[in-house]
Amino acid sequence: MELRYVKVLRIDLCFKILNMISKQLRLQWIITPLMLLGLSLSSIAQNIQFKGKVIDADTKIALEAATILVKGQNQSARTNANGQFTISNVSPNASIVVSYVGYTSKTVAVSTGEVVITLVKEDVSLNEVVVTALGIKKEKKKLGYATQDVKGAELVKAREVNPINNLVGKVAGLTVGMNQEMLRLPNLVLRGGRVNLIVVDGIPINSDTWNISPDDIESYNVLKGPVASALYGYRGQNGAIIINTKKGTKDKRGFAVELNSSTTVQNGFIALPRTQDEYGPGDHGKYAFGDGLGGGINDADYDVWGPKFEGQLIPQYDSPVDPITGKRSSTPWLARGKDNLKRFIQSGILNTTNISVASSTEKADLRFSLGNTYNKGILPNTSLNITNLNLASTLRFNSKLTLDANINYSRQYSDNFPDVDYGPNSVIYNMTIWGGADWNIDDMKNYWQPGKEGVQSIYAEYQRYHNPYFMAYEWTRGHYKNDIYAYTSLTYKLNKYVDLFARTSATTYDLLRNEKMPFSAHPYGREEGKGDYREDKRGLFEMNNEFRANFRTPEIAKFFNISGFAGGNLRQFNYNSSFASTNYLNVPNVYNFANSRNPVLAYNFASEMRVRSLLYSVDIEANKYANLNITGRNDQLSALSKDNNSFFYPSFNLSTVLSDYLTMPKQINLLKLRASYAKVRGGGSFVNDYIGSTPNNSFPIGYGQQYQSTYGGPSYTYANVYSTGTGYNNTTQASFTNTLLDSDVQPDDRTNLEFGVESRLLNNRLGIEATYFSYLDGPQIFSKAISQASGFASYVVNGTKTKRTGYDFTVNGSILKKANGINWDVTLNVGAFKNILEELPAGVNVLNTFYTKGMRTDAIYIRKFARTQDGQIINDAGGRPTILPVAQFAGYSNPDFVWGVNNKVSYKAFTLNFQLDGRVGGMMEDYVRKKTFQGGRHIETIEGAMGLARFQDYKGVKSYLGEGVQVGSGAIAYDAVTGLITNYGSLTFAPNATKTYLQDYISRVHGIPEPNMMSKTYLKLREVVVTYELPAGLVKKSPFKKATVSLVGRNLMYWMPDSKFKDVDIDQYPGESSIGLQTPTTRSYGFNLNFIF
Amino acid sequence: MKKIFQIVTLVLVIGSMAACNKSFDSLEADPNRATSVPANLILNNVLLNFTNGGFSTKQRSNQYYLCNYDYYGNNEYNWTGYSFGGYNTLKNIAQMEAEATKSVASPNPYTAIGKFLKAYFLYDLTMNLGDIPVSDALKGLTNVTPKYDTQKQVFQQILTYLEQANTEMGTLKTTNYVLASDFYYGNDLSKWQKAVNAFKLRVLIQLSNKEADADLAIKAKFAETISNPTKYPVFASDADNLTFVYNNQYNKYSTNPDNFGFDATRYNMSSTYLGNLASLKDPRTFFVAEPASALVASGKLPNSYDAFAGAGAGEDLATMSKNAGDGKYSFINRKRYYQTYTAETTTQVGYQELCFNMAEAAHRGWITGQSAETWYQNGIKASQAFYGVKEGANTVTFQKPNGTLAESVTYAVDYKYADYYAQATVKYAGSGTAGLNQILLQKYLSLYQNSGAEGYYNWRRTGVPTFHTGPGTGNSQRVALRYQYPSTERAVNKANVEAAIASQYGGADDINAKMWIIK
Repeated sequence: MELRYVKVLRIDLCFKILNMISKQLRLQWIITPLMLLGLSLSSIAQNIQFKGKVIDADTKIALEAATILVKGQNQSARTNANGQFTISNVSPNASIVVSYVGYTSKTVAVSTGEVVITLVKEDVSLNEVVVTALGIKKEKKKLGYATQDVKGAELVKAREVNPINNLVGKVAGLTVGMNQEMLRLPNLVLRGGRVNLIVVDGIPINSDTWNISPDDIESYNVLKGPVASALYGYRGQNGAIIINTKKGTKDKRGFAVELNSSTTVQNGFIALPRTQDEYGPGDHGKYAFGDGLGGGINDADYDVWGPKFEGQLIPQYDSPVDPITGKRSSTPWLARGKDNLKRFIQSGILNTTNISVASSTEKADLRFSLGNTYNKGILPNTSLNITNLNLASTLRFNSKLTLDANINYSRQYSDNFPDVDYGPNSVIYNMTIWGGADWNIDDMKNYWQPGKEGVQSIYAEYQRYHNPYFMAYEWTRGHYKNDIYAYTSLTYKLNKYVDLFARTSATTYDLLRNEKMPFSAHPYGREEGKGDYREDKRGLFEMNNEFRANFRTPEIAKFFNISGFAGGNLRQFNYNSSFASTNYLNVPNVYNFANSRNPVLAYNFASEMRVRSLLYSVDIEANKYANLNITGRNDQLSALSKDNNSFFYPSFNLSTVLSDYLTMPKQINLLKLRASYAKVRGGGSFVNDYIGSTPNNSFPIGYGQQYQSTYGGPSYTYANVYSTGTGYNNTTQASFTNTLLDSDVQPDDRTNLEFGVESRLLNNRLGIEATYFSYLDGPQIFSKAISQASGFASYVVNGTKTKRTGYDFTVNGSILKKANGINWDVTLNVGAFKNILEELPAGVNVLNTFYTKGMRTDAIYIRKFARTQDGQIINDAGGRPTILPVAQFAGYSNPDFVWGVNNKVSYKAFTLNFQLDGRVGGMMEDYVRKKTFQGGRHIETIEGAMGLARFQDYKGVKSYLGEGVQVGSGAIAYDAVTGLITNYGSLTFAPNATKTYLQDYISRVHGIPEPNMMSKTYLKLREVVVTYELPAGLVKKSPFKKATVSLVGRNLMYWMPDSKFKDVDIDQYPGESSIGLQTPTTRSYGFNLNFIF
Repeated sequence: MKKIFQIVTLVLVIGSMAACNKSFDSLEADPNRATSVPANLILNNVLLNFTNGGFSTKQRSNQYYLCNYDYYGNNEYNWTGYSFGGYNTLKNIAQMEAEATKSVASPNPYTAIGKFLKAYFLYDLTMNLGDIPVSDALKGLTNVTPKYDTQKQVFQQILTYLEQANTEMGTLKTTNYVLASDFYYGNDLSKWQKAVNAFKLRVLIQLSNKEADADLAIKAKFAETISNPTKYPVFASDADNLTFVYNNQYNKYSTNPDNFGFDATRYNMSSTYLGNLASLKDPRTFFVAEPASALVASGKLPNSYDAFAGAGAGEDLATMSKNAGDGKYSFINRKRYYQTYTAETTTQVGYQELCFNMAEAAHRGWITGQSAETWYQNGIKASQAFYGVKEGANTVTFQKPNGTLAESVTYAVDYKYADYYAQATVKYAGSGTAGLNQILLQKYLSLYQNSGAEGYYNWRRTGVPTFHTGPGTGNSQRVALRYQYPSTERAVNKANVEAAIASQYGGADDINAKMWIIK
C-alpha cells in the first residue's frame, strides 16, 4: 500500500515535471502517450475510466488531437484520429475541459459510457488578423479604421482578364470601373478618389494591375482611407489595395502541388447599340458611288441619311464598271449588310491556367508558381497573353534571423489589340455609328483591291471609313510589357523586445507599344493614306530601401502593452520614355523608321525623383478597454520646391470593444467603436499618377487613344520653361509657359476623420460594419486662373478646399445555417460619398464658370434647349430648337451609392456563389446614342413619327414638326452670365408650325447633350459559380488530394431603369459625365477546374 | 550568422548609395525643357499664331462662304466669349524681345517686329470686344487684375506701337542686323516696314467714325503717312504683301485633296459675296466658284454669270443643306481650292486693301493729290490679277459633272476690263454715298478668304455690302456686333470687366451692342 502510494506520488511528480517541460517545448503530443502509459500502470480502485469522442458541431467530423484536461487533477488526454479519447482513473465527480484550436472550449462532467462532445467553431471574424500598412499584421478587432478583406480564393474561379476587375462589388466603398476593352485600365475609385497605391507583401509596386496574378494571392485587403494608409505617405492619400501573396505551405509530404484552370467563352451581348438597317448612307435621301472620295453623290464621309433600301438601282462600290466607257453601272440598293457587326464579332475565349508548387520545412518555405492567361478578343485577330512567374521563399537561419525573398515576373504581350476610341481607327465607329447596311461584311474579307495588294484596300468609301477586316488584319497595334517586382528582407530578433527589419524592393517595367498603319488607312490627320509606323517605349525603375526597428514592451502596470516601430525609407525613382513615328512611309508594309517619307517625329522624356522618409508607429493597448495607434511619417520629396519639400503626416486611431468589458444583451456578441484622424500631405499635381507618350508636349497623333501608363513621378508641369514644337515648314518654334508658380507653394493637404462601428449579433450570425468618413482637402496645390491679360492663364498656389463626406457599410449574415443542410451566407456592401467645394482661392468668386462655394464638384453643366416659362422648347424660324448660349445644370455625375450583394449557398459537396451589384444615381451623356442618332443609324429614326418623317425626307419633303413653340414676336435676349432668357415679358409664342427635315432636326437636337442624358443606375448579375467538390471516396482513388469542378458565368444579366440607354455598359464610367465608344459587352461563361495533388 | 546579416546590410547600404549620384535638390528641375531659347524660335511661334488662313470660321462671319452641314458647323452669330489667348501671344512677343535683347541691345529687329505684332494682336482683341486691358496688361503677378483701357486708349497705343515699329525698322534696316525664322519676309526688315504702314492705314480707316476726334487726328496721320514715302514706305504691289505661303507637307492650305471628300459639298458659296460678284459680271466668279448644277441643268451655260448662285447666310440650314444637295448653289471652285495643297497664298495685310483704303481716304477728303478712282481701279485690277483673270481669252476650269477630284472640264471666258469697268455698277460714281459704297463693295470682294475678319469689320463700320440674315444666322436673325468678354474674366477680374461692360454697354455684355469704334 505504502509502496504503491509512493509509486503513484513519484509518477505524479514525474508527470508534473514532464508536463512543465512539455508546455515549454510544446511537446504535449509526446508526453501524453507517456502519461497514459504511466496512468495505465497505476490503478486507483475507486476511480473510473472515462471515454469520449470529440466532433465538430456542424460537420460532425471527428477532431483529432483535441486536448482533454481533468479539472483539478494533473490528468490530460488527446483524441486519436477518430476523435476518441480515454481517461482512466478519474474521479466520477470530476469534470473535464475539452479544447481544440479554433473552437470554443467546453466543460463536460465525467460520466460512464462513451460521451459525444460537440465543439463549436469560434467565429473567426472576431479574432481575424489583417495585414495593414507596411505589411504589419494586426488583429482586426484592435484596428481603429476601416479595412476590408477579400480572400484570393474567391476570385480565381469566374475569371476576368484583368484580375482587379474581379473585385467589383466585393468591397464597400470601392468602385471598380471595369473596362472591358483589351489592355485598358480599370478605373479603381475608392471613396471617390482614384486608388494609385497597390502594395504587395508590404512593398508598393508600380502596376497597371495587368501584372497581378490572382492565383498567387492569398488575400486582398483594401485600406479604405488615409487613416489606414498614412504610413505610406502621400501615395496613400486615396487608400491602398494591399495584396498578400501565398507562401510555402506545409503538407505531410513536405510539398503541395495545385493546378487551377479556367476557360470561359465570351458570347452574347448584354449592351448593344440598336441600329436601323432600312436606310443606307447618304444625305437627305441621296447617294451614288463615284470614287468613294467625293466624286459621287454623298459617297464620302457620309452619314446614314441616304436612300431607303428598296431594290432601286444605284451605282455602288461594287457595281460593275463598263470596261469600254469606264462608266459604273447601277445595281439594286439592298440591305446586304444587315447585322454586319454581329457577323463580324466572334466569340472570345479566356483561358487561365496556373500551376504552383509549395514546400515548407523547418528551415525554409518555398513557393513557385507559373501561370498563363490567354485571351482571344471578340474582334477578329485580337489577342492577349499574360505569363506570370512567381517565386517566394523564406529562410529561417535560426530562431533569430529570417530572410524573405520574392520575385514576380509578368509579361503581357499582344500583337494586336483594338483601339475603340472614337474615330476612323475604331471598328465600332466605322460599323455601328457611321456604317450603312449597304455592304456585306462577308464581301470585305478579301480586303485588297486586285492588283493593288498592300497599297489599296477595298471598301464602300475611301475618305473616312475603313474596311473592318482590313483594320483587323493589317492595321495592328502591339503591346509588349515586362513587369518585375522583387524584394529581399531580413528580420533579426535582437531580443525579447526588439527586432530589426531591413528590406530592399524594386519595381520596374519596360514597355513597347507599336502601331503598324498600312497604306490606304486614313485616320484623322493622315488623309494621304501612306501608312505609318510608331513606337512608344517606356521604362520605369523604382527602388525602396527601408529599415525598421520593431519593439514591444513588457506589460506596464499590468494594464498597458506598448508596441510599435520606428524606421526610415529611401525611395528612388527613374523614368525614361521615347515616342517616335514615321511621317508617312515610302514603301508599303516596311515598318521601319528608315522608311519614313518625311523626317521622323521623335520625342523623349526623362525624370528622376527621390523621397526620403522617416516613420514611426506606436500601439498602446490599454488592457481590454482600448487600443490606440499613433503613426507619424515625414517625407522629403524632390519634386517639390526646395524650401517646402519636407512635410509630416500624423495619424491617430482609437478603438474600443465595448463587449469586452461591458455586459451586453446576449444577442450582441461583439460591439466595437472606432475613431481615427489622419493628415496626409502630398505633392499634388507636382507628381503624376499616370503619364502619356509625349509628356509636356502636344501628342503628335490626332486619333485614337493616347496610352497612359502608371507613373508616380515628377510632372514638371510648373517649370518656368519654354515648350518647343514643330514650327513653320518643320522648323522649330518655342513658346513660354502659361503658368506661374508661387515659389512658396506648400504641399497638398488632406485631413481625414473617420468613425466606425462594428458589431456581431445573434450568435455571430449577423455582422455589421459601418464607417462614416470625411476628407477635408486643402489648401490644395491649385492652378488658380488669373486674368489672361496678365500674360499668364494660371498661377499655382495653395487654394481651394473641398470636403468629401460619405459612408460605407457591410452587412453579412447567415440566412440559413444547418449542418448537413443548406447554408446560405450573404454579404451586402454599400458605399457612398459626395464632394463639396468648401472654399475658393482668394480673389476667385467662381471656378470653371459655374462652381461656387458649397456646390458639389461633380455637378454637370451642359448645353440645353431654350424653353418657355412653362417648359416648352422654343424653335427657331426654321422649326428647329433654339439652344441657350450658356451651359446649364443637369445633375451630378457621381452615383448616389454603389452596392454589391454576394451570396454563398452550400449544400453538401455543392456550393453556389452568385453576386448582384450595381450603382444608383448619377447622370451622364449616352454618347453612343447621340452619335447613332446624328449618324442616322439609330433605330428610333425609323420608328413612329420619326419613321414617317424619315421616309418623307427621302422623298424630299419637309414633314417633321418638332415639339414646342416658335417666337411670335420679339427677339430673345439672353443674360450674358446665366445664358437664360431675360425678356419673356416682351415675347409672344405660337405653336411650332414650321416643318423641317428629320435629318436636320436630329442634327440640331442631338448636337447637344440634353436629349441623351441618362441615369447611371444599373444592376448586374455579375457572377454565378456552381462548385462541386469531388467526394473523398472518389478523390482517394485518384491522384488528387482535393478536386473541385465549377461552372462559372459572369456578366450574365444587365438591367437599367430606361432600357433605351441599354446601348452602353455603364461599368467603366463610375464618375464620368460623358462617355466614349465601347465594344459591345458580352456575357461570359465556362468552367473552372482546381486540383491539388 | 552575424556575418551574413552584416554582409546583407552592407549590400543594402551600398546599393542605396550607388543609385544616388545626383544631389537631392537638383532633381526639382525639369531636365527636358529649356529656360531660355533663341528669340527666333519664339518669332516662329508668334508668326504662326499671327496667321489667319482661308476658309476659316472668320471667313464664314465675313459671309464669303457658308457651311450647310450642321454636324460640322453653321452660319450663326450666336457668339459668346472671345478668347484672351491673344495675351498669351503678346507675352511670347515680350519674351522674344527679352531673349533678343540679351544679345543685342534694344532696338533690335525682334523689338521692331515685336512692336508691330503687339499692335496687331491688340487690334484683333479690341475689334472683337471693345475696351480691353492694355496699360495694366502683361504684368504677370504684378497685376493679375488689370483694369480695362477704353477702346480709344487702345487705339492710341496701337498707333504709338506702329509709329515706334516704323521708326525702329527705318533705323535698323540700314545697319547689319541678325534676324531668323521670319518665314514671311525672309528676314528683311525693309519689307516689314511697308507692312507696318499698310496696317496703320487699315487702322486709321477703321477709325473713320472718329474723324472728328482731335486726340486721334486720324486724317492728319493718314495724310502724313502717305505724303512721306521715305519715312513711311508702303506696299506698291501685291508682291509686297504680308502673305502666308503654304507648303505640301507641313502647312497645307485649309482646303486640299485630303479633305475634298469631307467638305466639298458641305460648304457652299454665300450670296453676299458670290451674288455681288456675279451681278457685277466679274470674272473672279469663275475662278472662285463653280456653276450651280441645277442652274446648268435648267439651261444656264456653265460659263455664264447666271449659272452662279450663293445661298443666303440667313437661310435655314435644313433648307440650305437640301438645296446644296440638289445643286441649287455654287460650290467652291475645286480646281483652285482642292486639287493641290497650296491653293493660293493668304494675304494678312495687302496691297489691294491698301488701294481701297487710299480710295476711301481720298473719297472722304482725308488726303489730297490722290485720285479715289485710280486707287479704286488699282484695287480691282490687283484683285482680278490675283485670281489669274486676264484681258481677253480666259480658260476657266470646273468640276466634271459627277466626276472625281481629278476630272474637270474647261470653258472659255472672254473678258475686257474696259467693258467691265464701264458698267454703271462698277464705274466709280464719284463723291457721294454711291461712290463710297462702290469702293467698300470692291474692297469686300478683294478681301475674299484673306485678311482675317476685315470683310466683317468693313461691313460693321459701313453696312456695305448688305449682310444676309434669317433663321440661319441665329441671334434672333441678326448679325452680332461683338463677342462677349471671356467668362474667366468674370471669375477672376470681376470688378474691372464689369466696369468696362457698364461704361460701354450699359451693364450687359451684349453681342448686339455697339462698341465705341462704330458709334
